[in-house]
Amino acid sequence: MNAYFNNIKNGIQTVFEGMSISLASFFVHPITIQYPEDDISSAEKLKETYKGQLGPMPENYRGILDVDLSICTACQLCVKACPIDCIVIDAVKCDKSKVQGTKSEKPAVKTRTCTRFDIHMGKCMFCALCTLACPTGAIVHTKVFEMNKYQLQDLVLSFVSEEEKEKAIKRDSELKVEAAAEKAAKAAKEAEKTEEEK
Amino acid sequence: MNLLTDTLGMTEFWANVVIMLIVCTIVFAVFALMSGITSWAERRIAGRMQSRYGCNRVGPQGILQFVADAVKLILKEDLIPDGADRFLYKITPYLCLMGVLATLVVLPLGSRAMMVADLNVGVLYFISITSIVVIGILMAGWSSNNKWSLLGGMRSAAQIVSYEIPVAMSLLTPILIAGSLSVGDLLDSQGWLPWEWTAFQTPFSALAFFVFFIGSLAEGNRTPFDLPEAESELVSGFNTEYSGFRFAVFFMAEYGNVFLIGLSTTALFLGGPNLPGFLQGNPFLSVAVMMLKTIFIMFVVIWLRWTLPRFRIDQLMDLSWKYLLPCALIAFFGQSVFMLVAHQIPAITQITSIVVFIVFLLIMIKFIGRIRTNYKEQSIPVGLN
Repeated sequence: MNAYFNNIKNGIQTVFEGMSISLASFFVHPITIQYPEDDISSAEKLKETYKGQLGPMPENYRGILDVDLSICTACQLCVKACPIDCIVIDAVKCDKSKVQGTKSEKPAVKTRTCTRFDIHMGKCMFCALCTLACPTGAIVHTKVFEMNKYQLQDLVLSFVSEEEKEKAIKRDSELKVEAAAEKAAKAAKEAEKTEEEK
Repeated sequence: MNLLTDTLGMTEFWANVVIMLIVCTIVFAVFALMSGITSWAERRIAGRMQSRYGCNRVGPQGILQFVADAVKLILKEDLIPDGADRFLYKITPYLCLMGVLATLVVLPLGSRAMMVADLNVGVLYFISITSIVVIGILMAGWSSNNKWSLLGGMRSAAQIVSYEIPVAMSLLTPILIAGSLSVGDLLDSQGWLPWEWTAFQTPFSALAFFVFFIGSLAEGNRTPFDLPEAESELVSGFNTEYSGFRFAVFFMAEYGNVFLIGLSTTALFLGGPNLPGFLQGNPFLSVAVMMLKTIFIMFVVIWLRWTLPRFRIDQLMDLSWKYLLPCALIAFFGQSVFMLVAHQIPAITQITSIVVFIVFLLIMIKFIGRIRTNYKEQSIPVGLN
């Protein structure tokens, strides 16, 4: 008999509590992000239209790769780190300069520049090994994940434009000429020196 | 009526037929529209209760979703399974819909004047006509030649037959208060103030109200009593094999049932369309009041569906026979004794009803407090970083 009334009591209590929980969640804003309408690439853009409780993409989200060529030293460490060889770098010499990377306080010395920096995003498996290997932090994962293309070929990202490439090659040949001239001058000087000694 | 007989020269019989057809069309249109909108509202409310949106693509806020669904279902092929009892299979959806629709004859859409027929045995008719649906569901299960459908049909029969008894017993309480079986008299016995409603007259009528509400949920095959169509167990039960327009008719009957639960609860227990004295008889306001209360009850029905899990069949039977039936009997007996006592001391009726209403209000205040706590708990951001 006691169990009978306990059942009634439990039934009423649980329904009472359950109804209050479901009505409370009725008033909470839906957690769904209406994706194509809400821009989820950054926190600021998300806040404009979305009222729910989800945050934007996490900080360590591995989206499409991006390269900051101004701090890239063309050291090719990322090429070596890539397990599936989807990065290709061709480099030539350039004016010696110091670049401030994002990874360390010490500036890195840049002696070479890229004439080709291609990443095949169709092959990339987003393992982030290249970003770990990069000494300056030039290659990073962005939060962009919308990369559908109609052609497989369009998935190859080229970061060096034709103009920059030509400019770099031109500068490289100039540098070569300068270096050769310097070398020749040096050699001439040396020869003079040895002759004087004689 | 006079217009038809005098100016158009119709006989009285044909004038009656024409008027009945017009009334039927109006009632059916209201019913169909309400069941369509209910299906949309249910999906939206379910979405919000589960922290998502629900349908919001077709039309503003997705309100035209039910039209799109209906068009899709009508365009689909009407399959009849091999080995089915073709005749029974074909007529069953209409039988189900008829059972649901026929209830509208005695239920008012507005004031007493807006009933299709104010039968003097209205409540009796209401109880008996809702049993037609069980025949429809049982026939659907049997004629489909599918074991899941048959199980669904059998469950439905067991469920509706056992829940009819507490529902009928709990209806005795308002009948005692009104002293009549006519739904119109039941409406007139209640006032417009909440403590003049049958549900808050005495503690016993409040008990009867809850028994009636739970019982009609079970009769309408709503969760937590949706055993006949348990999706996860019976592959949607008795309507597994139905497709196309016949499924749409089942669907309409199901959602129309929600409307009927709201309408009958409002009319019999929650004051119906009653208005304060000086507004009494205003047709638009009475329809508005009736519909407002109905829609609130429909919301509660949907809300319950998305809160409670489904019962097991033995729990279902336990609830009906061991809990609801005794409650209904207690309500009936208590109300009779109360009325005997109150007959000698008339003031007691008023005081009791106000006390019951205040107790109800206190429970509601506690409930709102619980909702606020839960709301605060749930609205803590759960961002990804």
